[in-house]
Amino acid sequence: MSELLACRGVTVRFGGLTALDGLDLAVGRGQILGLIGPNGSGKTTLFNAVTGIYEIASGEIVLDGRDISQLSPQNIYRAGIARTFQRSRLCLPLTVFDNIMIGNHQRLDNGLWFNLFRRGRLRAQFEENFAKARLLVKTFNANLAERLFSAAGALGMIDRRRVEICRALVSEPKLLLLDEPSAGMTREETRELMDDILLARDRIRGLTIIIIEHEMSVIERITEHCAVLNYGKKICEGAFREVAADLRVQEAYLGQAVAGNG
Amino acid sequence: MTHAARRDGRGWATAAFTIVTCAVFLLLFLFLQQLWAVFALLAAGIVIAVVAARCGLLARANAGFADHGRKTSALLVVALLVVAGFFHNAPYPLLMLSTVLLFIAACLGLHIQSGYAGIINFAGAAFFGIGAYTTAVLSAHTAIPHLPVLAAGGVMAALIGSILILPVLRTYGYYEALVTIAFGILFRTFMEVNNTFGGPQGLTLPGLDLFGWSFNNSLSLGGIDISFYMNYLLLSLLLVVGGIAIVLRIERSWVGLNLDAVRLDETAAKAFGISVARWKITAFTLGNLLCGIAGGVYGMMQGFISPASFAFSDSLIMISIIILGGIGNPWGVIPAAAIIIMLPEKLQFIQEYRFLLYGILVILILLFRPQGLMPRRLRAYFPGSEVRE
Amino acid sequence: MEFGLFAQYTFNGLMLGVVYAMVAVGFTLFFGVLDIIQFSHGDVLMAGAFAGLASFLGMQALGIHSPVVLAVGVVLAAGLGMALLGAVVAKYFVLPLRSAPSLNTLLITLMLGSVLRELVRLFFPNGSEPQPFPRLLPGGAFHWGGFTLQYGSALLLIGGALTIVAVDLVVTRTKLGLAIRAIAQDGETAKIMGINFERVVLITFALGSALGGLGGVVYGFYYSEINFNIGLLLGIIGFSAAIVGGLGNIYGAVIGGFLFAALQTIGSVALPFSSAYNNVFAFAAIIILIAWKPTGLIPEKTSERV
Repeated sequence: MSELLACRGVTVRFGGLTALDGLDLAVGRGQILGLIGPNGSGKTTLFNAVTGIYEIASGEIVLDGRDISQLSPQNIYRAGIARTFQRSRLCLPLTVFDNIMIGNHQRLDNGLWFNLFRRGRLRAQFEENFAKARLLVKTFNANLAERLFSAAGALGMIDRRRVEICRALVSEPKLLLLDEPSAGMTREETRELMDDILLARDRIRGLTIIIIEHEMSVIERITEHCAVLNYGKKICEGAFREVAADLRVQEAYLGQAVAGNG
Repeated sequence: MTHAARRDGRGWATAAFTIVTCAVFLLLFLFLQQLWAVFALLAAGIVIAVVAARCGLLARANAGFADHGRKTSALLVVALLVVAGFFHNAPYPLLMLSTVLLFIAACLGLHIQSGYAGIINFAGAAFFGIGAYTTAVLSAHTAIPHLPVLAAGGVMAALIGSILILPVLRTYGYYEALVTIAFGILFRTFMEVNNTFGGPQGLTLPGLDLFGWSFNNSLSLGGIDISFYMNYLLLSLLLVVGGIAIVLRIERSWVGLNLDAVRLDETAAKAFGISVARWKITAFTLGNLLCGIAGGVYGMMQGFISPASFAFSDSLIMISIIILGGIGNPWGVIPAAAIIIMLPEKLQFIQEYRFLLYGILVILILLFRPQGLMPRRLRAYFPGSEVRE
Repeated sequence: MEFGLFAQYTFNGLMLGVVYAMVAVGFTLFFGVLDIIQFSHGDVLMAGAFAGLASFLGMQALGIHSPVVLAVGVVLAAGLGMALLGAVVAKYFVLPLRSAPSLNTLLITLMLGSVLRELVRLFFPNGSEPQPFPRLLPGGAFHWGGFTLQYGSALLLIGGALTIVAVDLVVTRTKLGLAIRAIAQDGETAKIMGINFERVVLITFALGSALGGLGGVVYGFYYSEINFNIGLLLGIIGFSAAIVGGLGNIYGAVIGGFLFAALQTIGSVALPFSSAYNNVFAFAAIIILIAWKPTGLIPEKTSERV
């Protein structure tokens, strides 16, 4: 299995605080990698470093053989990494369709002249993208496909999450980063969402996913491989069962149940 | 007829009814001279507006405006022409209407900045003034025809605005506001202390002359005398129609989507590959351009400009118009500008208190109805053609 | 430049710096607890000066002529009056908009400033004209070479500086200050820890606004003249000073205030333009500064959580 993303010695510092300390991490093509670790262990920081929102102090991040560590967030997105956010970052006053099109931004014709004075061609483009968005949302949930022109703010939590994932998937990324997709949802909703994610992965060939989760049952169910972070370092890596049995991991989670109710 | 279509038809009918009512109201407002009559009219207007809002008529009218842009614009233009025709030989109402139209045009420019890109420009009056001053200087010292002169006013506003682009791009929110406030005050102070542009006494401008058509000559059409202000009114109307068309097309396109994304969440926008800088520059430049052009026409219509006409409080008036109308909804600018510009003109005794009243008005709106008179609606790229829920 | 003139300029600069710092500290305190900018804060300073003037006129009408009593009355009226105003602003205009976009807070405070300005202009007797501010400070002066230092002015400089120090002591050394800092760190957590969020916010606004009001009195005593629109300028410069010093940092704001005063004083001496351009340069400096260092020379405390 070839590597899609490789982080080598990635270090991120905020002033005196080292949030990521020489992290090495590799994800194989088509893999679902679980990223676990206690709060503040650097999981989201890693996502922010990979997507270019934080600058890395040293190390390199390679996507498909290309060093992306110096690219801007825009260019990293163009290179094929899309993400969701821990705290939902949908544009709530906009429609579901608008939110998904934000993810599809780079395939749209954004020229001022085109948009203002080529309304006929814009219409064709709009209809094409509407069909595309509808198809994508349908993969997730047929009901949601009927609500493409509702405000995102009018949706329930699970539907917002679905829209967020659709917004990330619409650009057909090579790598999808999911930051705690189960946050704020009930167990039932979480299970439903994981079904959706697995289904989407089956339908979109070659999609690679890194998922941050606290819900260990989620990790156990959907990941093939996990890495555990603590204090910005990787302390352990392997299949979920091996990782869960690792003493260091139990120590990092001291006071929290290792499996089950996370 | 399907249910949706019927609802749709009612939206348009309500919008049309609203326009006609407003036109009648406007006509009476301009026509009545006695103070008690004006007050009675205003009281009636407020009652009608409140009742209409309670019955959901305003919301339906708002929907009508959004879904039937072409028809409502046409009706609006006709209604305004009827009112203007009624006052064809009365300079004062025509001047007032033209002023309102020019403020609408300028505020549409600011609306692109604040309503879509989220850049609140507290120097609106300064950019309006740059347009007016550019027009004054070019028409006084060169023989350039007036159409390119007016365009130059807009371009100059956009160019000078580009000085602010760097600080505007590097900051957000409060810092950005500080930059535009500082610029607005700088502009006025500079114009006052600088003798090249007439200092505090200001400059006089010639009347507009387009293709040999002199705007300051009264007309006579089939024996009916028409005030020369009608020329300016028609030009201002043209500017507003153009402005509305541009703003609506911006909103109903990927450009509007990009601007919204930048306003609502810059970090997320960047993460999805949207260039925040590009869209902020686009919105800021377009907005200042429109503002500058409106300022140029305003200068020529007034025949005289001075720094005092472009003070910080005038910028606040423009912002008040946008907030009152409903930030993000270009249609809201129209009634809001009419109310804010005409009320103190008509009721001279409140002229002195107008900044105080606007301040209180905006505070009340922000506290109790932050969405304004006509709240923004969800984007429809091609209204009427989409799958409706 | 001869020594006397130099000393005079330096003193003028210091005096200006104290006034700017007194405004800037308010901005920075408010930003600390609520992450908002109270744009009307400059006009609070103006209102403080006018409250002081009004109380002076009132006391005089009552037949009080002792300069000490009058001066104390002026200071109290400005300080307490503005403390009250600040708390009212926070309670009825700023806190209700907590969940709205931050733009709304910006607009509402800006409009409040405009309302304050207009109220004074329209309803203070002859308010649109500059008003003479009473000279209540001890006369007499100290001469050193060509430099004349009015005792009153020296008193103002020291008094202003001590007030800022006092506010800083309240914030760093008292239990109330601990609550203010806790909220500045993390409002949600502070609430959970049993801190009365609203009360602390109101007190912070009262404290900062009182300081602003006293700044107005210092301004009035020093320049002997106040005007309804001094607040706009002082507010913008005070805000800029707070930004330069890094919002949320009291001594940063003080440094920012003195930096602006120095820039303006040096500018008025060194630049080959008439003094009419003073404000043009001040505003140009603000724009350039923000373009260069958007969040100040000392960086702002918070960063956005992604």
